[in-house]
Amino acid sequence: MKNNMKPSFTWRTVTESRLFFPLLALSLILLFDFIFIPGFFSIENREGNLHGSLIDIFRNGSTVMLLAIGMTLVIATGGVDLSVGAVMAIAASVAGILMNPSALKNEVFFVTDPTYTFQPLWVVIISALLIAILCGLWNGFLVAYMRIQPMVATLILMISGRGIAQLITNGLRVQITYRPYSFIGQGWIILPFSLYIVAMVLAITWFMTRKTAIGMFIESVGTNFRSSFFSGIDEKKIKLLVYTFCGFCAGIAGLVASSNIKTSDANNIGLTTELDAILAVVIGGTSMSGGRFSLVASMVGALVMQAITQSMYAIGVPAFALQAIKAVVVILVIILFSEQVRGFIRGISTSKKGVKS
Amino acid sequence: MKRVGEFFAKNRHFIPLMSTALLALTAYGIGAYLFVGMRNPQVFFNLFRNTSWLLISGIGMTLVILTGGIDLSVSGVVALTTVSSAVLLREGMNPWLVIVLMLLMGMSLGAIMGGFIIKLKVQPFIATLAGMWFARGMCFFISDDAVQIDNYIFHILGKTKILIPGLMELSLSQGKSAPYITIPVVVAFLLLLVMIYVTQYTSFGRTVYAIGGNEGRNEQSARLMCLPVDRTKFLVYTFNGFCSALAGLSFCLFVESGHGLYAPGFELDVIASVVMGGTMLTGGSGYVFGTFFGVLVLAVTQALIQFIGSLSSWWTKIVIGALTLIFIGVQTVLANRKSGRQNAESTVGAAAKRRTQLRLALGFGVLLVVVIAGVSISRSRSAASVDTTASAPCVVEFRKADAENLIQGGAVMAYQRVAGPQCVDELYAIYPDGRITGTDGVNTIEKQVTADEVEEMLVAISVEHAWFTNEIYDTYLTPCRQCFAHYILISYNGQEKGATGTDGTTAMPPGYAFALAEIRPLLPEITFAP
Repeated sequence: MKNNMKPSFTWRTVTESRLFFPLLALSLILLFDFIFIPGFFSIENREGNLHGSLIDIFRNGSTVMLLAIGMTLVIATGGVDLSVGAVMAIAASVAGILMNPSALKNEVFFVTDPTYTFQPLWVVIISALLIAILCGLWNGFLVAYMRIQPMVATLILMISGRGIAQLITNGLRVQITYRPYSFIGQGWIILPFSLYIVAMVLAITWFMTRKTAIGMFIESVGTNFRSSFFSGIDEKKIKLLVYTFCGFCAGIAGLVASSNIKTSDANNIGLTTELDAILAVVIGGTSMSGGRFSLVASMVGALVMQAITQSMYAIGVPAFALQAIKAVVVILVIILFSEQVRGFIRGISTSKKGVKS
Repeated sequence: MKRVGEFFAKNRHFIPLMSTALLALTAYGIGAYLFVGMRNPQVFFNLFRNTSWLLISGIGMTLVILTGGIDLSVSGVVALTTVSSAVLLREGMNPWLVIVLMLLMGMSLGAIMGGFIIKLKVQPFIATLAGMWFARGMCFFISDDAVQIDNYIFHILGKTKILIPGLMELSLSQGKSAPYITIPVVVAFLLLLVMIYVTQYTSFGRTVYAIGGNEGRNEQSARLMCLPVDRTKFLVYTFNGFCSALAGLSFCLFVESGHGLYAPGFELDVIASVVMGGTMLTGGSGYVFGTFFGVLVLAVTQALIQFIGSLSSWWTKIVIGALTLIFIGVQTVLANRKSGRQNAESTVGAAAKRRTQLRLALGFGVLLVVVIAGVSISRSRSAASVDTTASAPCVVEFRKADAENLIQGGAVMAYQRVAGPQCVDELYAIYPDGRITGTDGVNTIEKQVTADEVEEMLVAISVEHAWFTNEIYDTYLTPCRQCFAHYILISYNGQEKGATGTDGTTAMPPGYAFALAEIRPLLPEITFAP
C-alpha cells in the first residue's frame, strides 16, 4: 500500500487531480484553434503592450473569472448565487451615476470631457463596491439566517436587481467618459490591467482560504452543515461571509465590465454571466452539492468558457447562436463528470495497474 | 377566536394560496377604484389574454417544482417554438402539422433533459440551463431576424374573439364593446382543469407529491415505497416540455411572429408566479390551482403599473421580486414550524427562536411593503406635481414638413424635440451664419453663435458620427414618460437626411445620440410656456 502511494506522478494521480479535466478541455479547445484558426496564437507587441487572441481570452474572461472566484466559495458551501449578473449591473449603475449624474435630471446629457467626473474615482469605486457588498450581505442574510434555499433567495435579487439598477440610473444608459475609470477595463500594463485585478483578488482569496482555516470551514459547511455546526463552526457566519464575498467579486466584475464598454447599461451588463460563472465552477470540478473546491480549477474553467466563445467568434459563429454551442459543451462536461465515465476512466487506471503487477 | 385558529390550522396548506388570491383581487379592486379605465370588463379579461402562455407554462412548472426540481429551459423552448413555427409556416407547411410538430419538439426536448436528470444524476438546474442555451442558440441557427407569420389558420386561432356570454348585452347596453377572450385562454383553462384533476385524483399526481420535499429525503422514501419515481420524473419533465411548446404557440399566436429573442427572462416570471401561487420550491407542497392566482397577481401588477403610467416598466420587476420574497418568507416560516413540530423539538428555546424568526420575516415583509408603497407614492406624487396631465401620454408628432420648410429657407439643420416630462414640442433651426431660432409653439427665441461652431458641429455629425449612412435610421418607439423624441434634418454638402430617434436604453442608434450631444450645447434655452 505504501509503495503505491509513493510515486507522485502516475496515471491515477493525474486523472484524479482536480485540474485534469479542465486542463484537458482547455487544451482540446486550444488544439482546435491551433488547427483551424490561423494566427490564433500570434501575440504582437504594440508599444510595449501585448495584444493577440490569447491575451483577449484572458481580458474578456476577466469578468467571468472574477465571478467564478466568488461563486466557487458559494458553491463550495452547497449554495449558488444567481444574482451576480444583477449585482454587476447595480454596481455599474452606481459607478456610472456617481461619475455622470445627469441622468437623474431626466435629461439625456452627454459629457464628452474625458477629465470630468462628478465624484473622485476612489469614492466611485468604493461606493459601488459597498453597494455590491450590501447586495451580497442581503443574499447571505436570506440564505443563512432566514434559511431560504440559496437558489430561491438569490433568484429574488436576480429578478428585481435589474429593476433596481434601472431605478438608480433612472432607466437611462449612462455614458462614462472619465478616462481614469476606463483604465480599469481597457488599460494595459504589458498585460491587460483587468488581469492584474483578477490576479490580486485570486491571490487574496487563495491566501485566505488555503493559509487560514476559512477554506476548511467552507468545505466542511458544504460537506455537512449540521455536523460542522456540532463541531463548533458557526455555519451561518461562514455562509454570510461567502455570499458577501461573492457580492464583492460581482461588484468588481461590474466595474470592469462597465469600464470596458464605457457605459453603465443596466439592461445588458452581466446578462446571463451568472450562468457562465456557475458553469466555470462546474467545469472546474467543484460539485454543485458543495464540499471540496479548487479556485485555480475554477479559473481554468472560466478560461475554457471564454476560449470557446473566442474561438467560435473567430470562426464566425454569430453571438446568439453561440449559446447552442455552449450548451453542447455543458452536456459534454456533464457526461464527462458523470459516474459512468468516471468509472470507465478509473477502470483504465486499475487495469493498467493490474498489468504492471 | 379559537375557532378561527382551528380553521387556519386545519387549512394551513391553503394560506399562501388564499393570500395570493386575496392579494390579486385587492390589487385589482384598488386599481378599479383609482382608475376608471380598469373598470372596463375587457381590461379584466385582458389579464388572461396577455398571460395565457404564462399560465400554460406555469402549470407545467408547478409539476416540476412539486417533484423538487426546476426547469429553466422554458423561455428558450418558447422562443424556439415561435421561430421554428414561423419559419415552417413561411416554407408553406400545413399549420396543423406545424402545431403537432412543435408540441412533439417540446416534449422531446423535455424528455432529453429529464433523461439527463434521471440517468446521469445531473442537477435539474444545470441540465435545464443547458437546455435553455441550446434552444435559444438553435433559434439563431434557424433565423437571425424576426419572422412574420402570415397564415390564415394561425390568424383564426390567435384572433378569434370568444365573447363572454353574460357580459355581452351588459357591455353593449353601456356603449362599450363586448368583452372577449381568445382561444389560447380557453386552452390554458382546459389544461388547468385537466391538471387539477390529474394532480389531485390520480396515482400519477400523488406520486408527484410524494417525490418532492424534505430536501430529497422524500424521494428516497418514495423509492422505498416502490413508487415509480424515475418514470414519474421523466413524465413530468416531458410534460413541462409540452407545456413550454404550447406556451410558445400561444405566444406565437398573440404576436404573430417568431424571433429568438422573444420571452427573455420568461422562466423567472413563471417561477415567480408558481411561488406566489403557494407552491413550495423545495417541492411536495402546493396546488396547480394556486399557480393560476400567482399568474393573476403578476398580470394585475403589470396592468396597475401600466395604468399608473408615471412608473416605468422596471417597477414590475421590483414588485414581483418583492412579492416573491414575501411569499417565500411566509413559506419558509410555515415550513420551519411544520418541521419543528415533526421533530418534536418544541422546547421553549426552539419555540422562542421560531417566534423570533416569524416576527423577523413578518417585520421584513411589512417593511418592504411600506418602503415600496412609500417610494411609489412619492414618485407618483412628484410626477403628478410636475406633470398636470399625468395620465395621458404626450402626443408625439414630428413636423417634418415644417422642418423641410426651414431647410428650404436656408437653414442647415432643423431639430425638433417632442415629449419629455413636460410634453414639449420645440422646433429649432440652425443657419450657416450661426443664427439659431427656436420655438415651442408659443414663444420664440433666438441665439447667435459663430459660423465656425456651426460648421464644426455639422462636420462632426456628418463625418464623425456617420449621419449620411444607414447606421442612422428612424426609431419608431413611443418615448417613455421621461424621454424625448427627436427629429433631426440636416442639409450638408448637397446631401439631405432626416431621422427620428427616441431616448431610452436601446431605442436610439448610437451615432444619433452623439449627434444630439453635438447639437444640444448650441441650442438656446426655452422657458416652457405655462
